[in-house]
Amino acid sequence: MMYIQHFNCISPQHNVLNNDLDLLNDASEKKMQANEPVYESIPPGVLRRMGKAIRMGVGAALPICKAPALLNGILIGTANGGMEDCIKFLNQMVQYEEGLLAPGNFVQSTNNAIAGQLGLLTENKKYNITHVSRGLAFENALTDAMMQLKENPAGCYLLGGVDELSTYNYNIEKLAGAYKEEVVSIKNLYTTDSPGCIAGEGASMFVVNNDAANAIAKVEAVTTLHSNNLNEVKDKLKIFIEENLCDDDKIDLFLSGENGDNRDLKYYTACESLLNSNTTVGRFKHLCGEYPTASAFALWLCCILLQKQNIPHHIIKKKTTEKKLKNVLLYNNYKGYQHGFMLIKSCR
Amino acid sequence: MNRVFVTGMGIISAIGNSVAENHLALKEGKSGISKNLNLFPTKYASLLPFAQVGISTNELSSKLKIIEKGVTRTSMLALHAFNEAVEDAGLSGSIISAHDTALIGASTVGGMCLTDELYEDANKCEQGSDYTQSYDCASVCLFLQQRYKMSGIINTINTACSSAANAIMYGAMLIKNGFADRAIVGGADSLAKFTINGFNALHILSPETCTPFDENRKGLNLGEGAAFLVLEKDAAEKKIYAELTGYCNANDAYHPSSLSEQGDGPFFSMQGALQSAGLAAADINFINAHGTGTENNDEVESRAMIRLFNNPPDFASSKANVGHTLGAAGAVEAVFSILSLYYQELYANLYYNKAIPSTGLVPVQVYKKMPVQHVMSNSFGFGGNCSSLIFSKA
Repeated sequence: MMYIQHFNCISPQHNVLNNDLDLLNDASEKKMQANEPVYESIPPGVLRRMGKAIRMGVGAALPICKAPALLNGILIGTANGGMEDCIKFLNQMVQYEEGLLAPGNFVQSTNNAIAGQLGLLTENKKYNITHVSRGLAFENALTDAMMQLKENPAGCYLLGGVDELSTYNYNIEKLAGAYKEEVVSIKNLYTTDSPGCIAGEGASMFVVNNDAANAIAKVEAVTTLHSNNLNEVKDKLKIFIEENLCDDDKIDLFLSGENGDNRDLKYYTACESLLNSNTTVGRFKHLCGEYPTASAFALWLCCILLQKQNIPHHIIKKKTTEKKLKNVLLYNNYKGYQHGFMLIKSCR
Repeated sequence: MNRVFVTGMGIISAIGNSVAENHLALKEGKSGISKNLNLFPTKYASLLPFAQVGISTNELSSKLKIIEKGVTRTSMLALHAFNEAVEDAGLSGSIISAHDTALIGASTVGGMCLTDELYEDANKCEQGSDYTQSYDCASVCLFLQQRYKMSGIINTINTACSSAANAIMYGAMLIKNGFADRAIVGGADSLAKFTINGFNALHILSPETCTPFDENRKGLNLGEGAAFLVLEKDAAEKKIYAELTGYCNANDAYHPSSLSEQGDGPFFSMQGALQSAGLAAADINFINAHGTGTENNDEVESRAMIRLFNNPPDFASSKANVGHTLGAAGAVEAVFSILSLYYQELYANLYYNKAIPSTGLVPVQVYKKMPVQHVMSNSFGFGGNCSSLIFSKA
């Protein structure tokens, strides 16, 4: 368990709270690319050399690290890190036939460059780690943060999930059949019955500690599973709810990672079917697209919804009369194989 | 909180395909570094020395009965070491696949050992290769997870050259916090055209076999390998190799690819590990140094050791035996550290000749038997990522 004090996100959207679906940023050329801000907090000389994943990660983190020296650690989940730098270096290598190469892209391509840069820019010499377990990289970073807070109860940590969409990982994932063949608007994402999703990207950052007093939300628990067996996924969710929710309590919102891929839909439907009839069902992938650490975006969205006590129409799949939003169950799976569940509670 | 014991080990490196072979090679002071890299075409194959594992990818594939598609050399090295570790600890298939058994791996190269295939898949939108889902670092553990149908927590860590030390630490924390009863932890990396060119671009590859802590050291040699440990909270009636008593991860926060002069990262990680173990500096009998053989690392690490220990205990680097195995290094060297504890002996730091003038530190130069109660193992990486582990005699 842990409490979220501050949160920030760079995503394809300007304003996720806008009720009007027409005012949301749609996919362009089958991709949902991040709507990057002007990075005022990053020194220009440093910014110029940063690849996109590092830029987004650092850019989302710095505004919420008000007193960075007080942080007891930096924990990042990222499946790919600086993929663009990685392939740029590779292309340079092929082009110059392994000649004398500039090392910049190589150094930036390692997954840990985001957390490393954050440590450097905030002069933070404490715990610094990068979890890369693909579709559960963020869930593992979050589990790590919970354990750090158990070992150091007075501590305060920066936790984040970052993945970029570069031409290269788009190509690789496209060859693997991850994306839709046809052009699909986010307005029709959940109704096009075809394989594949829309590619996305983003960086979501959280400052977490054990202090309930000023917190926005409490992450009660997290659990993960690797399986493509529907019954195992359902059992995992049943046990997770039993262990973490009191009998007289209920899930107000089930935030589902449904992504328009008809191959993954059965897992979301099955989990949805286990919930109470007075649970609202919401979806978020039309806002951020699909990427391995999209669950970090979902947690950020969850914080906003709990704070505003208002769910925009485009997020709602199934509405209930319930007004108060207290308990949220977040479920996401990556390619139907890596499943993550989080239980989030309002602190207000 | 639960205690964490090491009950099984597995390793494959340039000096041997098992714990026993590695142990013998360490005692005999053997180096696995040579100039005959033959895994893939690269212009550096005959120009620079590397520490290549002595089994071809095809041999590994048939030995491990690989029938799955898209399995890379990194995953095969990992499986080879994993198999040895779980067998050594006597873990049955049902225990490995139980929900309270975690798997925490580490890698920096992942499937990018297939550098040429990655180039094709990333740049050409034609037919994909068999490896589109095998390039990332997570692919290695996901392969092991599928092979053994594991249902506990599965994770992969990439903090560059300290990755496996952090994987060991994360596994220990899962056990201490009750998220797992046992954790199979380690790392794997294979040689890749990508890393060879990367490190070459940084001008830190030695043209000769590396000479850690020597005044005239010329850089590091890249190596490959994999190692896994079985960590368990309840090891009654089992063979116990060692207890993991301390660990710490700290950041140098100085430069993306080199250590600060004063070595804050290394100092804080070593100091933090002592604190977490509840030990004094004088309790440490041996330091398995990161000792890559680069100008920067060895001098900074020496300085940090002097800063913390004043008069540092025996120390040595095994990089001249097995090369720098990057994401696997922390696990490979955990095995070596534990062998020192288990057999009460220290192995020589090869090819050392003369002390670094500014520090004057002299590593262990010959194999010797001696009482060893606590060993500290250091791993430092790009991004300022420094980690230290302490293993103690159980």
